[in-house]
Order: sequence, then C-alpha cells, then structure tokens
Amino acid sequence: MSTADPTIDALIEMRRARRRKRIAQIHWVDAMYQVYITAIVGLVVLVLLSGAAGGSKLSPSGLADLLRRGPAILGLIPAFAFMAGLRSGSRGGPLALEQPDVRHVLMSGAPRGYVLRGPAIRQLRSFAFIGIVVGGAAGLFARHRLGSNPAELVACGACFGLASVLLGAGAALVAAGRRIPRWVATLVGGIVVVWSIADIAKRAPTAPMSFLGRMPLWPLRLDLLALAPAAVGVALAAFGLVGIAGLSIENAERRTKLVGQLRFAVTLQDLRTVLVLRRQLAQELPRENPWLGSGHYRRPPKRLVFSRGLRSVLRFPASRLVRLVVLAVIVGFSARGALDGAPPLAALAGLALWVAGLDAIEPLAQETDHPTRSESYPIEIGELLVRHLAAPALVMLIVSVVAAGVIVLAHPTVDSLRIAAIALVPMAMLGLAGAAVSALMGAPSVNDEISAMLPPEFAGMKNVLRAGWPPLVSILGVAPFLVVWASHRSGRSPWSAAATAAIAGVLVALFVAVWVRYRDDIHDWWKQSMEEAKQQKSSKDAARPQRASTRAAPAPNESDDDRPDDEWDEDDERDEDDDWDEEDEEPDDDEDDEPDPEAEGDEESK
Amino acid sequence: MTDDDNSPAIEAVGLTKVYADLPALHPLDLTIEAGQSVALIGHNGSGKSTFLRMTAGLLEPTGGDVYIAGWPVGEIPARATTSFLPDDPVLYDDLSVREHVEYVSRLHGGNGFDGYAQDLAERFKIADRLDDLPARFSRGLRQKTSLILGIARPFSVLLVDEPFVGLDAPGKNTLLDVLAEVHADGAAVVVATHDPEFVERVDRSVALRDGEKVFDGKASVSEVLALVST
Repeated sequence: MSTADPTIDALIEMRRARRRKRIAQIHWVDAMYQVYITAIVGLVVLVLLSGAAGGSKLSPSGLADLLRRGPAILGLIPAFAFMAGLRSGSRGGPLALEQPDVRHVLMSGAPRGYVLRGPAIRQLRSFAFIGIVVGGAAGLFARHRLGSNPAELVACGACFGLASVLLGAGAALVAAGRRIPRWVATLVGGIVVVWSIADIAKRAPTAPMSFLGRMPLWPLRLDLLALAPAAVGVALAAFGLVGIAGLSIENAERRTKLVGQLRFAVTLQDLRTVLVLRRQLAQELPRENPWLGSGHYRRPPKRLVFSRGLRSVLRFPASRLVRLVVLAVIVGFSARGALDGAPPLAALAGLALWVAGLDAIEPLAQETDHPTRSESYPIEIGELLVRHLAAPALVMLIVSVVAAGVIVLAHPTVDSLRIAAIALVPMAMLGLAGAAVSALMGAPSVNDEISAMLPPEFAGMKNVLRAGWPPLVSILGVAPFLVVWASHRSGRSPWSAAATAAIAGVLVALFVAVWVRYRDDIHDWWKQSMEEAKQQKSSKDAARPQRASTRAAPAPNESDDDRPDDEWDEDDERDEDDDWDEEDEEPDDDEDDEPDPEAEGDEESK
Repeated sequence: MTDDDNSPAIEAVGLTKVYADLPALHPLDLTIEAGQSVALIGHNGSGKSTFLRMTAGLLEPTGGDVYIAGWPVGEIPARATTSFLPDDPVLYDDLSVREHVEYVSRLHGGNGFDGYAQDLAERFKIADRLDDLPARFSRGLRQKTSLILGIARPFSVLLVDEPFVGLDAPGKNTLLDVLAEVHADGAAVVVATHDPEFVERVDRSVALRDGEKVFDGKASVSEVLALVST
C-alpha cells in the first residue's frame, strides 16, 4: 500500500521494517511466561489484599457523609492529574520519542502530525490501561466498606481511572502541541487544584473535578453529571492528537535523551537515577540562591555536615516544596481514613511518607551520588552519612507536622490531637528511614552471586522484596493509626498500644540509623565471610580427588594392618564417599590396577 | 517569505538564545548566501553549536528569526533544504547502515541507498560494513555513518558541527574533499570547526566569542588560531 506522499511511504516502510526486527527478536515463550506469571501473581495479590484489607462496612450516616464529601475528595485525583499533565505538556511531555526519530524523521519533510500521532496514540493507550487497572483495583478494595456490588464498583472505578488519565494525558498533549507556556500551565492547573481543595473545605462552589468524583460512587447514587468532565477528557485527548504536530523539537530532543536513560535506569531498578532523571525531565533544578541566607558562610559552621544539608534543603525548588506539602496532605487524609475504618489507606499514607522521604534525603543522596568524593574525606563514611540524616529529619518533621495538622483539621477532636501527637515522630523518622535505605541500597548488583544461583521465579521474588522493603519501613510509621483503629474495633483503650507502636517505630528507625552507620563494616564482614566460606569449599573440593588418587596409588606391599589408626578413619570416610559417587559415575574397572600418573605426582609432592 | 532565487541560504535576524539567565547567543544578524562556504569558529561555549542548532531547527530561539532559503526554519521546505550533521552521531540501534541511508534519504525525498551513497561509503571506507548495525561501531565509524546519512540525502544548505572530531586522517581528508565537492555543486556549507585546514579552503570565516560575532570575513590560519586561543 502506498500513499501520495513518498516521505510517508518511506516512514511506513521504516516502521514496518523495525517492527519486523523487534518481533523477530522476541523470545515468545519467555515473553508469554512472563506475562502469565505477572498476570497470575498480580491477580492473586490483588484479590488477597483486597480480601485481607477489608474494613468495616460504613454505617448509613457514614455512607451519607461519603456521598456528601467523597466526590470533592475523589475529585482531587483528576485535578492533580490535569495539573501534572498540563505542566508536563508545557515541557514537551508526555511523548518520549527515540532520539533518531527526532533527528531524522521529525527533521525530514514528513508531516509531523502524521509522524507523532502514532506514538501519541500508543502512549494514550498505555496510560488508559494503567488508569483502568488502578481505578478497577481501587473499586475492588472499596467493596467491603461500601457493601455494593463488586462488579459495579470495579467498573465505575475503572471508568473514573480512565477519565482521570484522559484528562491528564489529554491536557499534556494539548499543552505540548499548542506550546502552552509553563507559567500558564501551572496557573491553570493550580486553579483547578485549588478549586477542588476549596470545594473539600466547602469554601467554593462545586469544583469541575468534583463532578467526576461522583463517578466511582455511582453504585451508591447515579449522577450523570459525572460524564461532563469525562467528556472533556475525551475531547482534550482528541484535540491534543489533532494538534500534536506543534510539538517543540527542542523539548522533544531534551526529553528523548533523558527518557532513554530513565528507561535504562528503571530496568536496572536504580531508583536514585530514576529520581534524578525525573527531576531533570521536569527541569526541577536547585535554586541558585537559598530561600534563606545568601548562600555564603559568614563564619565556619560548627556542624558542617548538618549545615551543608540545610543549604541543600534551602535550595529545594518551589515545585519540590509544593510536592512535599501535597504529600503531607495525602499522608494526613490517608491516615485519617485509616483511623476512620479504611485500614488500606495506611499503606497509601506510608507510601506518601516514603516518597516525601526520597525528596527530603537529598543531601545524603548527593553524598552517595559522588562516592569518590565522600570516600576522600578524612571521616568514616558511615559517620558522615549518619550526620547527613539530621537535615532531612528536620524536613520530615515539618512534613509530619503538616500531616498531623490535616488529621486534626479533618476531625477536630482531642482524640485526633492525641493520636497525631503520638504518631508525629515515628512518621517523620520512619518516612526518612525507608528513604535512607532506598538511597543507600542503590541498584541491584549485576554480579550478585546469590541471585545468579536462584531460579528465575525466586530471583524475581528477591528483587521484589528488595525493592519493597524500604517502603514497608515507611509504612510502619503509620502503624499507630492502625493500632488505634484496631483498638476501637475491639473496644479497648487505644492509647497505650498506640504509644507502644510509636516507640517500636522509633526503635526501628534507630536500627536503620545504626545500619547506615555500620553498613560498610557489615558488608565487609559479609564479604569476608563469603570469601572464607568459598576458600574452605574450594580446599575441600581440592581434597576430594586427592583422596581418590590416594586409593588409586596404594603403597606397594602395605597391608591394612600396618597403617596407623588415623588412616583407617580416612579410608572409612573415603568408602562412604565412593559409594555416593558410584551413583553418578560408572566405576573404572582399571582404577585399582593402573595407577594414575598424575596421582603419583600428587603423592610425590605430598 | 517564500523561496526565490534571490533568497540567501541562511538569514539570521536578531537571533538570540538565553538559557535560564545565561545568554548563549546575543542578538546575531548573519546572512549566508547560496553556495557560500563558511567556517564558524570560536572557543568552547562561544555559541557556534547553539547557532547551528537553531538554524537546523533543533533549538528554539529566545528571540529573532532564522530563514532558510527564505523559509522560516522548521517549515517543511526549510527542513527539506537543510542537512544538519551533529557532533554526536544519532543513529537507530536496530537499523544497518544501508537501511539508515535508505530510509533517511527517502524521508527527505531522495532516492534511498543509491550509487552516490555507495560511493560515499567506499570513500569513507565503510562499504564492507554497510549491513552491520552502527550500534556496534566505534565512535569514528558512527561519525562516518552519520556523515554519509547527512550527505547522501538531497539538500542545499549543509550545517556541520565539529565534523573532524573522532575521524582518522584518511577519513578527515575524505570529508574535506566531499565538503569541497558539495560546495562546488552549489550548496551552502557552514562548518563549526577549529581545524585550520578547513578554514584555509572556505570563502568566509565567522568568529563568535561569548555569543557575539567578533569577526566576519576571509581569515588566515594565524588569525583563526588567534581568535580561537583568546
């Protein structure tokens, strides 16, 4: 099939040729096996988690409250997606092209709209899939609390996820194609988000995204107005696809380099590199001048490492500070939700703490990014790293204070104040501890001998555990809320249990600090032990054929009775070994008759 | 504006580029006539690559305009006219040299891998590697592939950024010859380089320093060296 435009023909042919090569390189059995394993494991985990998460069914008054306040709170999700999409689009996102595509295809005479529409549709499709899966899973999790038909909840959740994603991705495509300036994108997105927040506080008329927030609650109350923002999402996506030809080549090329590296870092599970590249993609650079102070030391600081960390924190760009506040608000609302009978939200709160910690840990991460410099300082690296925890701890304490404020404001009672006060320190410390583990752990080693010995399923499981335990540490930070919720259910006084959970959390955080201090020593000790074990094994292995050769070359005219006792013992052991070996190998008939020359040599050398 | 016989090959009017608050190119007015060969010289960070990339349409000017044969940069006729050879070869991992030339040339309205491309491959001594993947090539071979890609397609304005870096001596001589032939065929050739051998051959040298034009004319090698070293 050929078109009127020869450049389009060439493009189609090139894409076909590349697809053919890609398909030819796929190991189908492996690929199908991976898909099968992922699907099965994903489904089982989802069903088990949603079953275990449970939570009590909402009372009629609770349901009424949910219908009144839920849409505005749920509307925050598409509002943030819309703002993130607009901002990403103003920087050339969400498309991530290959660099040669930018240089050779976009710079050719081929119509850019035609060139870009295919990748844009593929990207939309991936986003839509993610939105549907996440939305559907959330619907599944909500079934115990709402008590509605699970299929309806899953379907409505999936539709909500899809609509949110379309709003975000559509806004991004429009912003990229129409080259909307960044400040306009931030302003418009910010208005939508602030309106949604004001709607939650009942300080503004219904926000546009709150209408969409009614969609996941359709099984409780059908409201077709929710379709309006969803239709806007579809229109934005369509409009974005039509106008994608206007994409800035400069932005496309900048993104293309970073996205390539980002994908590579993701395949290596190198979280720190992913974070750094993501910040570069978002052009999130440290401030030239700190928020406070001039950037110059008037006099040498007493606590140098802490002071250096503080400078780093004071150079956080506005976008990172806003993200920290947003994460704190998410922690607050999620913890409040967990307290009020939706325990799965505790996981969300813990994850938000961990993400905030990853931002806060920047001074320490900078040190690990430049190991040659850090190791050149005349100070134990562990001690240096522990000192680097102080400034991020301060940041996390502020994050926790904001989260605690949200918890109290959402339900202003003395009990709320009590639990917020109890959880304040563990939230800060464990949010930071999880992030510190992530930052210091680095990417999995490609020369990991243990993983190399494991079958693929176990190696994969090991990788999942490796990636999963730092967020789990952070989730422990919100354990006091779960304890209070559980105590209320069983009718016991929650405060002593909550305090115990908080103390346990602080102890875990201190344990992580000790690990940070001595991890190099621990690694060295482990490495040395492994080396010693390896040496012992190899010397044992070396001894085995020697014994066999001893038997192959018996001393002439030596009777069993003439041998010393210890040789007797050795021979008995050898016989056992031989019995075992015989199962694997056919015994050599000539072995006893014909001495092995090499064995003789061994004997001589002995 | 549209293409006509009198339009210069490149016309930059008040062309400016500022990164954050750091000016990379101060307002620059520069006209390069069709068929002219120009050496763009200057020390590192002087704005040569920024100028070339803006002229190729890879960077967006902060201010001012660039026209290629009378067309605003970025428009289809301007793209069809301009061939840009970057200092960092950008190639697909999964296409052989021959496939690269075939598709890229046709995307620009050329004949694909034709006799001229074969001739270039032979002169650059990679004819025996045409069916290999450049992803596995050395830096120099990738550079040669990139040069063939940029020259085998149709163009009338050739922009080249530091082309001699990474090339061996025979490769460099071949490139000097090819650039001379391209120029003789009527294309405007603009090369950012410090290489005195090329500067000797060009009609005109334009020197930039800290984003500003400090010299425009025919320069001797000693003048060029003085300009680059200051």
